[in-house]
Amino acid sequence: MNDLLLMCTIAGRRAAIPAVAVQSVIEVENITPIPGTPDFICGLTALRSQALTVIDSSLALGIDQPCVSRDQRAAVVEVEGHLYAIMVDEAHDVGEARSEPVAVPGGFGDGWQRAAKGMVETDGGPALLVDIPQLVSGPIAAAA
Amino acid sequence: MDELLADFVAETREMLEQSGSELVAWEADPSDKARIDTIFRFVHTVKGNCGFFDFPRLEKLSHAAEDALAECRAGRREPDSALVTAVLAIIDRISEMTDAIEADEDLGEGGDDALIAALNPDGEVEVQSDIEISDLETRSADTAKADDGNDTQKAVPRQGVQRSIRLPVDLLDEVMKGVSDMVLARNDLARRLREAGEQPTIDGPFERLSAILADVRTSITRMRMQRLEHLFSSLPRLVRDLSNELGKQVLVDFEGSEVELDREMIEMVRDPLTHIIRNAIDHGVETPAQRLKSGKREIGMLKFAARQSGNQISLVITDDGGGINVEKVAAKALANGIYSRSELDAMSEGQKQNLIFEPGLSTAEEVSSVSGRGVGMDVVRSNIERVGGSIEVTSKPGEGTSFHLKLPLTLSIIAALTVGSGDQRYAIPRSYVEEIVFGNSSHVEFAQAGDRRLVTFRDKRVPCLSLGEVLGSETNDNCEWESKTLILVRLASDDVFALAVDRVFDHEDVVVKPIAPAIMETRLYAGTTLLDDGRPMMLIDLPSIAQMRGMAGGVRTKAAPVEREKEVEAKKAVPVMLFAGLDGRHRAVRLELVRRIDTISRDAIDIEGDRAQAIIDGEILTLAGHDTGDLPEERCRLLRLSDGENELVYAVREVLDAADVTDDVVPSEADRNIEGVTLIGGKPIPLLDGHAVFSRYKAARKVDHTLTCRIPSDSEWARTILEPLVSAAGYRIASDEDEGEADLAIALAENTDGAGGVARETIRLRPDPEDSGDDTIYRYDRDGLLAALKRIRTGRAA
Repeated sequence: MNDLLLMCTIAGRRAAIPAVAVQSVIEVENITPIPGTPDFICGLTALRSQALTVIDSSLALGIDQPCVSRDQRAAVVEVEGHLYAIMVDEAHDVGEARSEPVAVPGGFGDGWQRAAKGMVETDGGPALLVDIPQLVSGPIAAAA
Repeated sequence: MDELLADFVAETREMLEQSGSELVAWEADPSDKARIDTIFRFVHTVKGNCGFFDFPRLEKLSHAAEDALAECRAGRREPDSALVTAVLAIIDRISEMTDAIEADEDLGEGGDDALIAALNPDGEVEVQSDIEISDLETRSADTAKADDGNDTQKAVPRQGVQRSIRLPVDLLDEVMKGVSDMVLARNDLARRLREAGEQPTIDGPFERLSAILADVRTSITRMRMQRLEHLFSSLPRLVRDLSNELGKQVLVDFEGSEVELDREMIEMVRDPLTHIIRNAIDHGVETPAQRLKSGKREIGMLKFAARQSGNQISLVITDDGGGINVEKVAAKALANGIYSRSELDAMSEGQKQNLIFEPGLSTAEEVSSVSGRGVGMDVVRSNIERVGGSIEVTSKPGEGTSFHLKLPLTLSIIAALTVGSGDQRYAIPRSYVEEIVFGNSSHVEFAQAGDRRLVTFRDKRVPCLSLGEVLGSETNDNCEWESKTLILVRLASDDVFALAVDRVFDHEDVVVKPIAPAIMETRLYAGTTLLDDGRPMMLIDLPSIAQMRGMAGGVRTKAAPVEREKEVEAKKAVPVMLFAGLDGRHRAVRLELVRRIDTISRDAIDIEGDRAQAIIDGEILTLAGHDTGDLPEERCRLLRLSDGENELVYAVREVLDAADVTDDVVPSEADRNIEGVTLIGGKPIPLLDGHAVFSRYKAARKVDHTLTCRIPSDSEWARTILEPLVSAAGYRIASDEDEGEADLAIALAENTDGAGGVARETIRLRPDPEDSGDDTIYRYDRDGLLAALKRIRTGRAA
């Protein structure tokens, strides 16, 4: 198993997003907020005249703290024809998975349990593999 | 004709493709009724089309096949494999001939008779069926494969004469999206170039690029367009089938089939349209016997008229049936508990007719196979609304029903109003916007009922919603309604509410893109669009918001007229505009005289001795009213008054309000500048005399003298029928206030007391066509009347 993973930090934890699904990593500049939407949706941003829905990965996991990001890095992914920018604390390198995602006895904690496919071993140590569709649908939908 | 022919070839080929698999299935089981029906329909359509195009050989072949199949359908003949083979051979020949027609070749040698003879039950089977069937099999396999891939490629024409290809709509969409993005990128570039200042070496090519892009965009849009013909062409068939089934006779008539509409839109309205047709034939058009009894033609008429107006298509479907039985609809609504008796009583006839769009109403007494299967007009309406259209119904008992559909030209571009709320911009579909008013405007009045804000506008109480509050950025408590701009929204269901926004920016055509499901869940937004500078903007979903906030509860929240009596009274009342003159005194002027209100700077006013003029938009206008007091120092409000031909401006300090004069105007002898004094809101207000103002200040621009005509003001006929005719003939209609001699008066013969005014000439009209020999003209003798009008006009002008 040597899938490429985008290594990043979400809510202070090491996480990995399958690199195949990531179109690009951008620095989100302007976000147009959308009133009335759940917290984890930060708003819309434009990328090459396409509108991306900006997701705060931390809030989307159901963690109370929003993303703390210096450079507003986000991974652009497409789910069911819609483009999303998943904001993370930090986006690192692309690395190789050294193992299949596995469950850990006792789980990963509330939010993580819902939106993580499991733990993968990488060169820099274990990371949680993010389930993108779960993440973009937010904590409420994921709980249902 | 060529285009029609190409359509015929394409249609035939399409049907060949579709019936390919049917043919094979039929081969396997010759007694399969459903297959026979399909193939019968095919040859029948070909036959009909051939007759139209004068292809006698094709017609003969298809006719023979149709006959044989009709026998089978009627049960007079058992379909056997011999018949199958013969029919297949004919269909194959039709296909060959179609190719030949397309390539503009001769239709090949004879041999048709042998094919036709093979259809005969006793005929010999001598056709090389094996080859044809295997041919058909491969073809049908191809078709099936193509269907799976959603990529139906048309069979390549043999000679490559027809230069058209079929494309999946997805691909078109993608190209369209690409072009839209290109436009946005261009806009962005344009902005940057502007910021960078003039650069001749770049600006030239950039402009060329812009022009090319605009062209491409138009072509792409056209690529998606299809003539309505394509929709209409399937309808006669549907109507025929339905009317046969129901034992009625219906003719169809089309108008405007050349109107073009987005392909996808055509597909979207196909079902609703089918439903309307079903209803019209089932419930609308009566049986021939009933029709004859009520003095109508035996054959009912179903009319389709399409028209493009701006970026909308209006489609009217009219039947000449019995009309909507309003009482029955109302009774049904009552029985189903949708409305209460009192609510129904309060409804107008039109509202009651529109009840048919309510869920759960079907007036058919019996559920027939055609309509009344629970899929009601409510579904039709919601489908039409989903694509951004609207539907209305009008009906006259005994005369028929019309459905008026309004459809946007394309699905993805909508006309929108951009508004501001909080620090952001939002788009609102313009089709819902009825009117825009400022909260601080004097004729807008706020009221409070419980926690609900109401606004009284044009004598109606309309519930208010604040966009800020809906979006959660502010609460109703800290909302300053007076500082808002109110957008009066009329939903398709005729419910009206006011949406308060901070600002209205602009009208814009926006390309709408879908939004993520999580945002969709808020039910506040219908999509997103990008502003010129590339920033996203949300499109507000008004119907959904209205529903969530209970604004769209049908008649329940219908904007209630404040007082009915007041409206009746208002009809008699004279609308006036209240203003404060330069001296600060309140005066009024007849609203009809006021064309608009201008605000100009003091510099644009030039007064010298007796001459006073104001410059507005490069036009010099006579100024009046400046002698009542000092002009304000900076900006000056002007009422622009018009008597129809001349204009002048009247300086005021402040425009106060619009009001209705219901009390008598008491004439004043002392002041010749006023008509009189009247009571408005209990205060005496002098009413400016338009005549005196215009005669005194002799307006600047004088158009040619128009002849005036007096018509009986008390006759409705004269006002509604005669007046337009007379004005069209070049006369100005003298109002009752107009003193002085009119050039002409028209009197009705039955009114002996004349037209109530002085006139140089008088035309008398009689109500009967018979010449009574008293120099009168029959009131509907249009030519005679126009001739008389012309005679007087030329006579006077000479």
